Amino acid sequence: MLSSLILIIIGLSGGLVVGSGFVAFLAVLGIIPRLTQLTKTYQFIHVYEWAIILGTVLVGWASLRNSMLFQSEIWLIPIGLFCGTFIGMLAAALTEVLNVFPILAKRIGLGEKIIVLLMAIVLGKIIGSLFHWMYFVNH
Amino acid sequence: MDKTVYIRLRHRIQVHPNDVITIDKVALIVGDKELTEKLKKIVIHKVQLSDKNMVVIDVMQVIKAIQKHDSQIEIQALGSNQTIVEILYKKKRLSPLLFCIVWLLLFIGAGLAIMNFHEDVSMQAVHQRIYKIVTGRENDQPLILQIPYSIGLGLGMILFFNHLFKKRINEEPSPLEVEIFNYQLDLDQYVAMNENKENINKNDDDVK
Repeated sequence: MLSSLILIIIGLSGGLVVGSGFVAFLAVLGIIPRLTQLTKTYQFIHVYEWAIILGTVLVGWASLRNSMLFQSEIWLIPIGLFCGTFIGMLAAALTEVLNVFPILAKRIGLGEKIIVLLMAIVLGKIIGSLFHWMYFVNH
Repeated sequence: MDKTVYIRLRHRIQVHPNDVITIDKVALIVGDKELTEKLKKIVIHKVQLSDKNMVVIDVMQVIKAIQKHDSQIEIQALGSNQTIVEILYKKKRLSPLLFCIVWLLLFIGAGLAIMNFHEDVSMQAVHQRIYKIVTGRENDQPLILQIPYSIGLGLGMILFFNHLFKKRINEEPSPLEVEIFNYQLDLDQYVAMNENKENINKNDDDVK
């Protein structure tokens, strides 16, 4: 009885810390404001908050409980696309990527060609990722 | 006749080598019309080779020059305290080879970084897990999830930067443009503090 109580307290506190840390991480990267800015849906920002919370809780629960849905493989295509887009936005938002460009633009004097360089990073990510999944993991 | 003039220095101007910088170029000036017309023609600085590619004009320099012209004028300076003068020499052409090297560097670097990230967070195990949650079956290499994932990766970055090759998704500035603007602002601030002759003179006086 006492041990279950302790476990509940440990679990709850662990969840609280991880959850707030996750939200803080998302807030620092500013992906949600960026998405609302792109789609001009500022009025739905609270709905987006709930999307994050529900997604975290439901998927966290499913992965901890070993739930299985027994659905068709086709579902994995949109899921993969959304997973990738989210990680792509995370990667783009990391300040390391953002800080390289102004310096490149200034030092080498690349004013207009910056989009081409941006595409180098984007294509590099895609090809690197495909290479990783299709070749690297088998060797 | 009212002898008050208001001046506001411009933040940043561009000139050519051997140009003469007059007050008209570095500042906006408002006051009695005849007076300002005269003041606008005062020469503040002549661009020389020794200036390299940056000169900072301090507001005090401008005030000194105006007072030398007529010490009766009351000057109200507003806005920034210095103007950064960028001297435009002939632009060096960017060599295509250098550009290709930078492109490849970013391309390969980005690929390496994403692979490191995947290994770091055990993305393969996570993908196998997602495959199992959705289908209920085991699959060591769930490519049906991983290929859309890889494409999404690029899409997400494009979405974030708001650039689809040359087409923009909407008209707001992208984080990249804001970042470049901030970087330029930081550089300007540094130059304004460190290349400003007025500041340097003041330090010399302190030493004496």
